[in-house]
Amino acid sequence: MSIFIDEQTRVLIQGITGKEGAYWTKHMQEMGTTIVAGVTPGKEGQQVDGIPVYHSVERATRNHQLDAAMLFVPPRFTKDAVFEALEGGIKKIVTVADGIPVHDAVQIRKAALEAGALVVGGNTSGVISPGKAMMGFFPYWIKRVYTPGRIGVMTRSGSLTNEVTSMVVEAGFGVSTLIGVGGDPVPGTRFAEMLPAYQQDPETDAVVIIGELGGTMEEEVAAALANDSFTKPLVAFLGGRTAPAGKKMGHAGAIVTGGTGSVEDKVAALEKAGASVAARPRQVGQLLRQALEETKKSKGTGEGDERKGAAK
Amino acid sequence: MKLFEYQAKEVFKNSGIPVPDSRLVHNRSEAAAAVDAVGTPCAVKSQLLMGGRGKAGLIKLAKNKDQALQIAEELFSRPEGVQKLLIEEAVDIEKELYLSITLDPVKAEGLVIACAEGGVEIETLAKERPEAIVRKNFDLTRGLQAYQARAAVYDMGLSGDAAKQAVKILMGLYKAFTTYDAELIEINPLFLTKSGIIKDGPNKEGQLIAGDGKLSIDDNAAHRQQEYSITREHFSSDMEYEAAMDGIPYLQFDGDISLMCAGAGLTTTVYDLINYEGGSVANYLEFGGPNYRRAMRAMELCLQNPSKVILIVTFGTIARADVMAEGVVEAIKKLNPNRPIVTCIRGTNEEDAVKILEGAGLTPIFDTEEAVRTAVKIAKGGAA
Repeated sequence: MSIFIDEQTRVLIQGITGKEGAYWTKHMQEMGTTIVAGVTPGKEGQQVDGIPVYHSVERATRNHQLDAAMLFVPPRFTKDAVFEALEGGIKKIVTVADGIPVHDAVQIRKAALEAGALVVGGNTSGVISPGKAMMGFFPYWIKRVYTPGRIGVMTRSGSLTNEVTSMVVEAGFGVSTLIGVGGDPVPGTRFAEMLPAYQQDPETDAVVIIGELGGTMEEEVAAALANDSFTKPLVAFLGGRTAPAGKKMGHAGAIVTGGTGSVEDKVAALEKAGASVAARPRQVGQLLRQALEETKKSKGTGEGDERKGAAK
Repeated sequence: MKLFEYQAKEVFKNSGIPVPDSRLVHNRSEAAAAVDAVGTPCAVKSQLLMGGRGKAGLIKLAKNKDQALQIAEELFSRPEGVQKLLIEEAVDIEKELYLSITLDPVKAEGLVIACAEGGVEIETLAKERPEAIVRKNFDLTRGLQAYQARAAVYDMGLSGDAAKQAVKILMGLYKAFTTYDAELIEINPLFLTKSGIIKDGPNKEGQLIAGDGKLSIDDNAAHRQQEYSITREHFSSDMEYEAAMDGIPYLQFDGDISLMCAGAGLTTTVYDLINYEGGSVANYLEFGGPNYRRAMRAMELCLQNPSKVILIVTFGTIARADVMAEGVVEAIKKLNPNRPIVTCIRGTNEEDAVKILEGAGLTPIFDTEEAVRTAVKIAKGGAA
């Protein structure tokens, strides 16, 4: 059992007949994902790689049990597609669209919160449990990046994910579940909201978060560490430490304004709460090894707070 | 996209928010007519996007026409490159307030921020006197309701006619906030005037009137927001403007190393690593995502800089490594760059990318930090 998705999760693809949708449907299946139906308005009756296509989510639900929806839908139509999936009773939704209007993103997240659903994205590569299942697009065939293992990863950045994950693998680890929450200012799901799942996941020993300047998601993770609702070792890498204030560097969600959301503040909050913070991608592997060894030691001697011991 | 003050005030006016009478001018002769129209005393305000214009001497008050024209002359010749001035009737101020609407990414709602102490930056106020700031969340799908606007206004300590005016202004702000897909809409300061000052206004009690205006429109909503568009004045350099018109994220710095990287997160990290290694960045450029087939244009932009080396770092999935490598090799052939190029191109089809780069006589590097060190060494005059 991995978190969010596994081989058993029955996935619907919205926008399945598009170029990207069709291409990644094939790859998601190849990696082990169970895809049961697709939706493209006007294309009912067609098949994509043996997957039946329906006009609407509702029509797909008449013939299939659906656990999750994967959206390959342009940003301006994403709100409509997410609402449609939610109305179809789907509780796990991944949208990779880059460029969702922020007012739409706010309404998407609000609707998800009210429905008790998780919407991951936009502006993300999606979710992957290497060797089991994938919703989104990851170069899972590059083994030096996507080896199965016991490290959970959460990220705000696609390009940095491959970079940091390759360092996790180089250090001798692998990935249990990677969740790309995305680089938008209002992501559907926030880092801290996924921590309970990682905390309970018997297949995850430690979590790496890949953050960046702007917003408060890293501070929320620090709060979860500080109040002991998350107690596994946590290593963070944050891009934009030397970014000049006010310049629009990085994702739209990453603008430093008026001293809030600076990487400096985030590093201080995380370290104070007991996380290890890497200054360079390569250090992520080293810090993981240290943190896990400390955990083992403190468990061996029966000492109480394993996480805080690991941070030193 | 941020709007200039004069544009934000156009929006305010159309949303029923009182603004001082003003004229936009582009030169000294237009200024004379503008001063005649709004009367004196008047404020002469440089239309730049930077904050702190008052402190920087970019906004000045003139007592009479001669002084106003002298100030206009002075502001037009400032090094900041002032292109437009807003000449505005002076307001007799009793008090400065603050009103804004933005988004709350955690609760996924709209957020009204109100404060009876305006005129300073809200971030400063939030640090120094957090208890003075009123916050009211509202559901974006339902929209801001009048009772929510009243709750904010009475909590900020207003009463009587001023409170009624503030509710109307807040509802106007909300209308503009949704109409323009705003990330932020702000009136700071919102003036409360002394009685009887504003022409044609009610003159028994003080009147609320927008002293300054900020409106930031979501770039992702550009397809449904066509009234205002990006101009050269939104950028601090020609290069940044040119790149933006091409849809390539680009920032100008004055260091030695041109970055040509894929993805916002990775490019920002490479920027950090260069600084850690004691190097300096000439420009930040992203050619990933939708631009991954545009190595030629990206390199052209880098070559317009007096940088000493171009550093290419990518780790793409859909942005295939082989396609990017081919693009880079083709760009080198065509542009014949006069400076070394360090490549670290990885991701989908990376084995093919290595062959392509080696075939073109380049020495591909596979590790980001090693690539950064190599570029810094070259920039400092060492060999590749």
